[in-house]
Amino acid sequence: MKGYRIVVADSSESSRQKISNLLKRKGYKVYHATDGAGAIRTARSIRPDIVILDTNLWGINAYEVADIIEGDKLSIVIFSTNRPDSDLYSYLKKMTLYAYITKPFNPEQVYQILEFVIMNSGRIHSLSEKIEKLEHTLESRKIIDKAKGLVMEKLNISENEAYGYIRKKSMDLSLSMEKMAQRIIKEYFQEHEQYVSRKG
Amino acid sequence: MKKEVLTKEKILKTAQELELELIHLQFTDIMGTMKNVSITREELEKALNNEIMFDGSSIDGFVRIEESDMYLQPELSTFAVFPWTQGEARLICDVYKTDGTPFEGCPRNVLKKTLKEAEDLGFIMNVGPECEFFLFHTDEKGDPSLETHDNAGYFDLAPVDLGGNARKDMTIALKQMGFEIEASHHEVAPGQHEIDFKYEDALTTADNIMTFKMVVRIIAQRHGLHATFMPKPKFGINGSGMHTNMSLATLDGKNAFYDDKDNMKLSETAYHYLGGLVKHAKSFTALTNPTVNSYKRLTPGYEAPEIIAWSASNRSPLIRIPAKRGNSTRVELRNPDPSANPYLALAVVLKAGLDGIKNKIQPPAPVTSNVYHMSEKEMTEKGIDHLPENIYEAVRELARDEVIKSALGDHVYNKFIDAALYEWYEYSKSVSQWEIERYLRKF
Repeated sequence: MKGYRIVVADSSESSRQKISNLLKRKGYKVYHATDGAGAIRTARSIRPDIVILDTNLWGINAYEVADIIEGDKLSIVIFSTNRPDSDLYSYLKKMTLYAYITKPFNPEQVYQILEFVIMNSGRIHSLSEKIEKLEHTLESRKIIDKAKGLVMEKLNISENEAYGYIRKKSMDLSLSMEKMAQRIIKEYFQEHEQYVSRKG
Repeated sequence: MKKEVLTKEKILKTAQELELELIHLQFTDIMGTMKNVSITREELEKALNNEIMFDGSSIDGFVRIEESDMYLQPELSTFAVFPWTQGEARLICDVYKTDGTPFEGCPRNVLKKTLKEAEDLGFIMNVGPECEFFLFHTDEKGDPSLETHDNAGYFDLAPVDLGGNARKDMTIALKQMGFEIEASHHEVAPGQHEIDFKYEDALTTADNIMTFKMVVRIIAQRHGLHATFMPKPKFGINGSGMHTNMSLATLDGKNAFYDDKDNMKLSETAYHYLGGLVKHAKSFTALTNPTVNSYKRLTPGYEAPEIIAWSASNRSPLIRIPAKRGNSTRVELRNPDPSANPYLALAVVLKAGLDGIKNKIQPPAPVTSNVYHMSEKEMTEKGIDHLPENIYEAVRELARDEVIKSALGDHVYNKFIDAALYEWYEYSKSVSQWEIERYLRKF
């Protein structure tokens, strides 16, 4: 776990010191922030692996800070708190990982949770990348299918021929098949609209 | 803004498709603060039928208790989805009274009234603003500070341009909301930035300025920064202005300030408009520079104007005529600052210009030498006057100027004067750090 970069955002100096000492002992690199906005600035500057946010942070509310840091994909956030309450539990559900650290710090708990977060955030990260890629493929599939249908109808050709037609066109124009399909759909509907308005 | 013709049906459909949760009905109070009445999607149709009411007495400077019910009438073309969050959008509204007439305390209505007057004379006002602001860091407690960089300074970190990155995100968000950004850059002072967007008709521009300030503040916060439009946050460095480029177009879309035959290629209309601006500068400054702090910017040496003059070549006077001609012929007014209520500021400036046109007021001769280097004597000889020294002087000038007062109407005028004088007296009573340092030991 050496070299992982962690931002400790806590308005209490003694808390910051205590947790920093624990983290440094394990070889983590530690950065400090004393207020909400400062936590965001540090996260934007160094893109850390983890931001530990105290729920009683000064300035911008800690949950809002968490929203921004995870929303803009700057880092993974875990909360630290001396009093877990219903607010915390409801916010935890929206976070990437359901994990928090309680105060006073128990070294074993802190280490365990950090290891858990580091292992799982890596996995979640690669999974969500995969999902994003798949969603994109699926989306372009749908578009190509739709264009294919239009081409089949218009030119009165088979499905395979229509697919080949779009592929040929996209190669001729050096466009991705998805872009080509979008263009075909757009043109089709423009023609259609003109037709309708002429008729009207 | 790229205007798409929006209908009630289109807005309702978009709201449905995007599963909007909150729609903010926005309007501006007399002091230029944006107010929101937030409704859910279920209430949107009611809002689009102008049926949403709010309690006007809860808004500063609006109305007395007995006439507190107000209606909001959304301007459909201002519908915009917030790009930085999920499921939120806004509509800018006019405020109406229960009898269905426009509320005279609504700054947007005030501007509309003056724009109507211009239209009756055959003119449309176009405005392009250059809005400056500062991005500051917070202190260790999270309160806004005057710092422009962090002191922590981890030695292994390359310096990151936090302000520049924030500004980049601001322009992206503004573009997503339909703005056409013309320029975006660092300014002279550390931490100071400028974003310019394309000129539009005056009402759209005033709406855009309000939207712009909101977007800048929100995106700054998302970057851990505090954005301020305070005119002069720091002594010794440039303040933030809002240079206002304006022109009049005829109803068929031609630039009314351009005349090929004139030696400066300016039309009679342009000269008279200038004449009106110069004549009323002292009084409209109360609205274009409405805070105590505004006048700390209007001091010599920081690229801000303080004398009432105009020039085609020189950048220092109050009014500059940029070199571009033809359809881009325009007048740049350099005193407004971003603490101004854009609706009221544009209304009074336009009113001043229209008064010039109606009464064929000739402007004084343009100044050519650098006016900063002129002595008091030279200036008196040339009949060049100064802008007011402070908001108190400006308010007194305003009180004497019936033309500018009539643009505001009694309601806004009285509320504005009350608020400005209250500020001035509060300020006058306070003892500043400057005085402590100057006098504590001396006497």
